[in-house]
Amino acid sequence: MNSSKAALQVDLAKSRGGLDQSRLVVAWLMLLPLLLGLLIFAIYPSIYVLGLSFTKSTLGQPFKAYLGLRNYHWLAFGGDDIFVPSLLRAAIFSICVSLVELGLGLWLAVLLASMQRLSRLVRSILLLPLMTPPVLVGTAWKLLLAPGGGLVNGKLLSLGIVDAPISFLGTQPWALLSLMVADAWQWTPFVAILAYAALRQVPDDVVEAALLDGANATAIFWKIQLPMTAPLLLAIFMLRLIMAFKTFDLLYILTFGGPGASTDMAGFAVWRTALRNFDVGTAAAETVLFAAFVSLALLPLLWLHRRVERIAS
Amino acid sequence: MSDLDPKLTVSGLNRRTLLAASASMVGGGMLQLSPLLRSGAFAGQQLNLTIIQPHAVAGEVLKKLFQDQAGVTLNFTVIPYDQVHAQATLDVQSGANHFDVHDYWYASIGALVDDKVVVDVTDWIERDKAQIHPEDFIPSIYDAYTRVNSRRWGLPYDGDSHVLFYNTEILKRHGLEAPATWDAYYQAVKTITEKEKGGGIYGTALLGFKVPVIIVSSYANRLAGFGGRFLKDGRPDLLSEESIAAAEELVRVAPYALPTPSETAFDQALPAFLSGKVAFLEFWTDLGVRAQDPQNSKIVNLWDVSQLPVGGKNKTPVAALDAGFGWAISSGSNKKELAWEFVRWASSGEVGLKLLTTYNSGIDPTRSSTLNAPEYKSFAPKVQRAAAAAFGSALVWPTVAQTPKLLDSLTEQLALILAGQSKPKQALEAVQRAWERELV
Repeated sequence: MNSSKAALQVDLAKSRGGLDQSRLVVAWLMLLPLLLGLLIFAIYPSIYVLGLSFTKSTLGQPFKAYLGLRNYHWLAFGGDDIFVPSLLRAAIFSICVSLVELGLGLWLAVLLASMQRLSRLVRSILLLPLMTPPVLVGTAWKLLLAPGGGLVNGKLLSLGIVDAPISFLGTQPWALLSLMVADAWQWTPFVAILAYAALRQVPDDVVEAALLDGANATAIFWKIQLPMTAPLLLAIFMLRLIMAFKTFDLLYILTFGGPGASTDMAGFAVWRTALRNFDVGTAAAETVLFAAFVSLALLPLLWLHRRVERIAS
Repeated sequence: MSDLDPKLTVSGLNRRTLLAASASMVGGGMLQLSPLLRSGAFAGQQLNLTIIQPHAVAGEVLKKLFQDQAGVTLNFTVIPYDQVHAQATLDVQSGANHFDVHDYWYASIGALVDDKVVVDVTDWIERDKAQIHPEDFIPSIYDAYTRVNSRRWGLPYDGDSHVLFYNTEILKRHGLEAPATWDAYYQAVKTITEKEKGGGIYGTALLGFKVPVIIVSSYANRLAGFGGRFLKDGRPDLLSEESIAAAEELVRVAPYALPTPSETAFDQALPAFLSGKVAFLEFWTDLGVRAQDPQNSKIVNLWDVSQLPVGGKNKTPVAALDAGFGWAISSGSNKKELAWEFVRWASSGEVGLKLLTTYNSGIDPTRSSTLNAPEYKSFAPKVQRAAAAAFGSALVWPTVAQTPKLLDSLTEQLALILAGQSKPKQALEAVQRAWERELV
């Protein structure tokens, strides 16, 4: 009896083992497309770029010669005085615009959430800057800010605020500020829509209970909505920060990195090295440094995000 | 070198090609068609070419002529002038090999050769020299545009050089004449801006936008005027007295230029000059044709042109070869023989003259015969005079393999100078260091 029971158990274990194995195979098969996708679109390009960064490569002749760390040394400690400042400039720009856009976007989201009517229409209108091609956004702002015939200078002159046109895109600090304004115009609606979605996550009954307790709108925002949506808002901030680090199109159209190097940022510098100087090896090293720099900049935010999430939960 | 296709000979004629040939013979003048093209051997075929935006009109003219006369369709892809190199390289490197012929900026020829993107045409030139007449190309242009490592890689077709355009009405108001020196130019610009700035009129539009072909052209004009050189015996020469003086001259005039030089590119400078808002503009010779076109210009018959001023110890005007284009055959082309026939035809004197006398073609002379042709003289008399005088002596931009990087570092530092973020000498020291790293 006992021996037959034991045999049955062994059989069961065997069949379970077989089942587990076949389930494992199926699981791997199902994962295969994702793994292949990652391999082709993420891992291979990353390894390729990393490989290029150790070589002398041009657009026409990649991997011409092995240079070891010379590209990195040139960028960080050698004669190049453009890339490292462009990284710092990108950081200043990204942090500033992300903060401004989060503040403005959140304010718009609160207004949207409090609207009884026309909320849907306003949301659709808000999406317009997002749907405008960046090149057109740049061109529109270039025309608006032009020293001769530009709308902004025209208004400032007619109102007597200035007696000569301001060169918004050709002088410091106006050029960087103008870029920030154009970027905020384009991306604040995006943040507003996401923040609005975050605000909608706050349960209505919590807000209603606070209202019954006599809390006003300001108190509800600071004591209920903001704490409850903080992890999401922080995630939105991080998303915008990463996007802002990579700003290229506005820069290309509006200032081309000028005046001088005042608005020259890392993404633009990488493009210039790769596609204007055709020095693909150095551009690859810049890309690796850029990715490392952005990752480092995000570390404290990720830590903060985890902490806020824990507190909020 | 020559890889002639034996199939493409006159004996390979068929009815269609004969018809095409006879049709083309009947049609207007056969502009420099080779016997092979005239035979209709290529009729019905197509060529894919890149062409820069300012040459779009020229492309249309070439397309029509070549279709009518050789029965070959030219498919032009119009791209920005600063992206020809990248497009050409990626086309070959990716293996797409879509393009047969490229409209290349002469300064990029060394890099294109180094990247193995264009083919050596030395032997073809030698073979066809009786039809090409290489001796007719303006000497300062021919070598600069085509010669790398003692071989030739293309043929010139747009000989760009800056000259000094000025508004005669504005100068007359102030009792001024065309300046012969950069100092006289500065004084004239200063006078005009100080007196007419309130009315929106400035002494000059200084092309200072941070793109090599724009800001480096402005610097090169002064460098040429002071008698300087970019390279001396293959080594950077940016710390010479002339080089520094040229940079200082650029900075000196900037405060009196149309606001703001750092923002001034073609789309700001051209409308300003053509609408009579600025007195001077250093620009390519083809502006003279546009300035006489009532549809584009409010200064018809109110302008003139002179050679670029001189400065320092130099007393002889020198042309700065700012921009300038040639035709080169892509190494990825599988129609090299036809491509060569096109290049030879398109860079010929007769086709050149046709383009020179077409409004807005963006083409300037590359040959002595077209520069001095009566048709060109009567079409653009003022410009012809300035161009003829300018091409005698010329400042050539670097054409080495490292040119893109050289021009980029110079562009960066010139932009810093114009923005007041660096002093001329300090900036040129940085350029010299960067160039030495690349070249020495």
